[in-house]
Formats: sequence, structure tokens, C-alpha cells
Amino acid sequence: MTDIAPWSTAARPATGMPAELPRKVEPFTFTGTAREYFGIWIVNILLTIVTIGIYSAWAKVRRLRYFYGNTHLAGASFDYHAKPVRILIGRIIVLAIILGYNIVANLFPVFSLVLTPVFLLALPWFVMRGLRFNARVTSYRNIRFDFTGGYWGAFKAYVLGSIITWLSLGILAPIASRWMWHYLLSNATYGGRPVTNEATVRAMYGQWLLPAVIFLGGLVLFGASAFAILPALQELYSDISASADADLVLAVIIQLLLTSLLPLIVLLAFAGLIYRAGTRNVAFNATLIDGRHKLMSFIHRGRFAWVTVSNLVATILTLGLARPWAAVRMAKLMAVSTALEVEGSLDGYIGQIVDSGPAVASEYLDVEGFDIGF
Amino acid sequence: MASDGLSGSWFPPGASQRYVAEAAVDAHGALTVTVEGEVVTSAFVEKLVVSERVASIPRRITFPDGSLFETSDNDGVDAITGAHGTAAGIIDGLERYRPRLFVFAGLVIALCFLVYRFAVPALVEVAVAVTPPIVPTVLSQSALASLDTTVMSPSELPADRQAAIIAAFKAIAAHSPRGADGFVLNFRKGGPIGPNAFALPDGNLVLTDELVELAANDEAVLGVLGHEIAHVEGEHSLRQLYRAAGITGLIMMIGGDIGAAAEDILVQGSALMALSFSRKQETESDRRGVELMLAAGRDPTAIVGFFEKLLNLSGTAQPPSMLSTHPDTQGRMDAVKAYAAELKARDGQGR
Repeated sequence: MTDIAPWSTAARPATGMPAELPRKVEPFTFTGTAREYFGIWIVNILLTIVTIGIYSAWAKVRRLRYFYGNTHLAGASFDYHAKPVRILIGRIIVLAIILGYNIVANLFPVFSLVLTPVFLLALPWFVMRGLRFNARVTSYRNIRFDFTGGYWGAFKAYVLGSIITWLSLGILAPIASRWMWHYLLSNATYGGRPVTNEATVRAMYGQWLLPAVIFLGGLVLFGASAFAILPALQELYSDISASADADLVLAVIIQLLLTSLLPLIVLLAFAGLIYRAGTRNVAFNATLIDGRHKLMSFIHRGRFAWVTVSNLVATILTLGLARPWAAVRMAKLMAVSTALEVEGSLDGYIGQIVDSGPAVASEYLDVEGFDIGF
Repeated sequence: MASDGLSGSWFPPGASQRYVAEAAVDAHGALTVTVEGEVVTSAFVEKLVVSERVASIPRRITFPDGSLFETSDNDGVDAITGAHGTAAGIIDGLERYRPRLFVFAGLVIALCFLVYRFAVPALVEVAVAVTPPIVPTVLSQSALASLDTTVMSPSELPADRQAAIIAAFKAIAAHSPRGADGFVLNFRKGGPIGPNAFALPDGNLVLTDELVELAANDEAVLGVLGHEIAHVEGEHSLRQLYRAAGITGLIMMIGGDIGAAAEDILVQGSALMALSFSRKQETESDRRGVELMLAAGRDPTAIVGFFEKLLNLSGTAQPPSMLSTHPDTQGRMDAVKAYAAELKARDGQGR
């Protein structure tokens, strides 16, 4: 075996080095194709069904390895290292927890009043451990990422952030976004080197304005049209309010809510997508890795909303068969909208593989469809 | 190229420093990595940790010293490590873009349909069969208790009226396999839930004063109770519970592969399907109610009288039946009359 000492001592730039290192913008690229991913995707689903769900853990690893491995930066790709067996164990535990919760909630409804706050308090823990697991199984150039965020940061970013967003009807959403992005980014490390995020609430509000105007404008338009059909609604109401049949009244109300809420939900989702892309741009553009490499994001907000919506429509219309195409299309959009301005080189990082811990938290987030935000 | 060596990158243990490197199997059978002609690491093939092949993403070969050789030459790696025949190799072969992928797609659609149509109902039956009797009891007691504390209040129906209904009810319930003792009839003032009757899975039935007043005659009330007995017999609440759980579990399983938005839509869609399932249970209970009333020597179409009162109350506004848990009332009345006539005719022939 050769002595590796000469290589491993490869110079790490000392902190006192002059700042005149060359800067170069390295774009992210995604090289996966819908054709290739279709095979992985359909085999994943087929084997998941045939093995009554057991294969889903292997499926997840193959899917993520495909997407990470096709994401390139400066001539190197990312990789995903989670062990399928660990993911499977995590999933089984999570399913047992969800099952237990539902049994208790159904048998003793009063207990669910106690359990709901418990779950709310446990959520930051799941977020924190889930992010840590995901970071530790991700590598770039032989170095694993890590995530050092704590419980209260996650509590503020996800629980408190959601509460103030809802209570303020979205007016305080930029504060919540700033908490969330700050938690996600400034707690990440690469090769033991810190990531800093200096995004301001003010900059977040800059991204909030357009979607807020879109939503309010839509709301006014919608309100005006609802006012126009008000007489018809009143007539319908007097018709059914005479009825004491709870089922009938309920059915009419559900129908009214569905037809009236649907355009509002679509509008809110559209505004939300524009906002999400905008805050990602702001957050990434205020992020420095190791105090020198500048993260860059320049998603076209309208294009992001369009790709998301058309992906969903295409997926539904094809009974899901267009999903591989849609997923690859989104990955390409995200990659070409992201870059890293590298100062000097990406050589010289040293990392140790730390145990990624159990996959329970990351699987909880996954199974519940919890959106981490990247 | 695959035969004489692999070109790629080599990383020292735990370092991001990258070197353009070549790897080849030497005369002793060890994979040896060289950087600019200098050997940097070497190990026998069986000591290497090689990442599984996924489409054309780069392969990682980790050496015992912790250093890493990375290459995009997937075929070359397979030639050296002999990945063919391993589970990962077989799966990679299945995933290749070939016409059979479309057969797989058809298979997935067929399997989804079969699971939804047969496997879920079968599992629901198994789950219902193995559920210990304590479960419906606890379910019912807690549901009744929470309704009592929130919306319902004690019945204001005169005791003799209650006694008359209970006596007639027991006579009908005696024709159910659970027997008259398998049911308890509870009188309540409905309040916000108005004229209503519902069955709890342990055999407790709740009848609101408002319903008794609306129905005006006891025969119609008994018709409604026959329908509720059928809900208990069919263990409808348990079935609904298990079905919802089973379908949600199925959707969660493939959630990662279909995307979060599509998963949400599937969950919402399955809630709509659950409504249609519950309409099916209503129809089934209507029919069973007719049988019970006939068996007890009562008017099998008595429930129609109650439906008529309901229709008079609600006027003509009828919701589309897709959004309702109950089929449309006129349709139910017709179905009940037709089934009663059919049963009577069959009965007449039998004699």
C-alpha cells in the first residue's frame, strides 16, 4: 500500500492568505434524461408494489442517487450514500408511530387533544434530525456535508414561522422565510467549514410584494364576480336553509366551498410558487460557503411557476406516466438556475465521515410529505 | 478502454483534492490507481467497496485506505468487479430503456387497479375479522361521550313513547343475527344535528327527538332504525376506517416517486372515493332494512315515509350525488319500493 501522507497534507489555504485568488462562476448542470429516469422510476414502482412496500427504501436510494449523481458542479457530481436497510427501518418505525397515533386518536378522541401538541413539539426535532441525516449522506468531491442546526432553530423556523404566517394572513411570511432559509443554510457545513447566510427580512419582503399583489388582485376580481351572482346564491340559500336535513345542507355547503375555493386555492398556489422561487434567489445570493465561495440562484419566477404547474397537469393527465419527464425537467430548471462563484479552488477540504444516525426523522419528513424547502 | 484501464478522478482519504487518475488491474489481480504515472493506492478487487450502478452516474470505488476513485466508465467497472448477476446488476438491467418498460408501465397500472379493487377490500375483511370486540366498544363509547358533551342533550320524549318505540325496535332487532340484546337504543335531543339517527359500531343506536317528531308516525321511525341496524350488522364504520387507512398507506408508499403535489391530489381523490364507498353502504343498509322490516311483519317501505318528510322539508334543491355521503333521496325511495315489491313477489311465489 502506498504512503498517502503526501496527498493528505495537500495545502489548505491558511486564513491569512491574500484575497486576490481568482474567482470563477461554476454553473450547476443536470445531465439526467427523462428516458433514462423512466426506467428507474417504473421499476421502482413495480417492485414497490410487488414487495408490498419493502422495496420503497431501495427505490428511494436509487432515485436520489440518480438525481444527485447527474447534478454536476465544476466537473464533479454529487452522491447520495444512505443505506436502504436503514431507510427501511426508519420507514417501519414511522409507520408504526403514525398507526399508533391513529389508533389512539380513533379510540380515545380526547387523547388526540394531548397528542397534537406533542407532535407539534416533536416536529422541530424531526426536522433537525432529518436535515442532519440528509446532509450526512450527501457528498461532493469525496466530502460529506453536515448539518449542525439545533432544536430551537427548527422550532422558530417551522413551528413559530407557520404560526405567525397564518395568524398574519401571510403578511409576516417574509420573516418566517428568513428564519427558515437562515436555519437551512447557515447550519450546513462542508468539510467542517461553515456556511453563512446574511439574507435580510427586507430583501425577503422585496420578493413578497409581487405575489401579494397578484393574490390580492385575484381576490378582488373574484369577490366582484361573486357579488355579481349573489342573488342566485341567496335564492339557493333560502331554498336549502328551510331544510333540516343535515346531510343535504352539508352537501350543498361542500359543493359551494369547492366551486368557490378552487380558484382561490389555485391563485394562492400560483402566488406561493412565485414567492418561493423569489425567496430562494434571495437566500442563496446572500450565502457564502467557507467565507469565500458565493452561492448564486437566479430562477425566473414565472418560469418556475409555469414548470411546476404544467408538470403537475401533465402528470395527472397521463395517470402519472409523465412524472419522470416532469421530475427531470424540474431538476434541469433548478440546476441551470444555480451556480457557485468559486474563489481559488475547491481543493483542500478535509472531511470525516460521521455516522448519519438512524433514518427515522428523515423518513418521517418523507412519508408525511413535509417540504424542506430547497 | 475498459480492458486496459479506467480513467477518472482519485481523491485522497477524506479530502476534496482531486487528481486525474487511471485505474487498472495489475498482474497480481489488484486494482491499482496511478496519478501521473505514480501509484497512489492499490487493493485486491474483493477488498473494494464499489457503488451500485444507477443508469450512467459516476461510480465510486472506495479503497481500504479510505481513498476514492471515481469514474464514469460504468462498463469498465462492471468488467473488473463482475457486477453482473448481483441483485443491483439485475435491477440495473431491468431499468434499461427497452420496449419491456412499457409492459412494466401497463403492469403497474393493472396492479394498482387490482390492489384497489381486490387487495384493499380483502385486507379490510381480514382486519375486521381480527379486530377484538373491545375496539368497537371503546370506539362507540368515546364517540357517544364526546357527542353528549358537545351537541346532544337528554331526550325530552315522553317515557311511554320511548317505551313503545323500544318494544317495536326489539321485535325488529330480534331478526338480526346479533339478536335483540345486541342493540341498545338511545334517545337524545339532537340540537345542531337535527332529525338524525345513527349507529355506533358496538350496537348502540342513537335516535334524536327531532327525527321522531319529523317522522310523525312510529312506523317510519322503525324503518329508519331497521336501516341503522343494518349498518351495525355490516360493521360499516370499521370498514370505512380500515379502508381509509389502507388506501392512505398505499399512496404514502409510492409518494416519493410520484411527487408531493400528485400525492396530495391522490389523497384528496381517495377522500372523494370514500364518499362513494359510503353511499354504497347506505344503499346496502336500505335493502337490509327492508328485509328486517318484512321479517318482523312490518311495512318494509316505512322508511319511504320518512324520506318524503325529508323531501318536503328540503324543497327541490338536490345536491349532485357525487358530493354526498348519501345517495339522492328520490333514488333511494324508488329503490326501497322496488326491492320491497321484489321481496314480496318472491315471498308470494314461495308459498
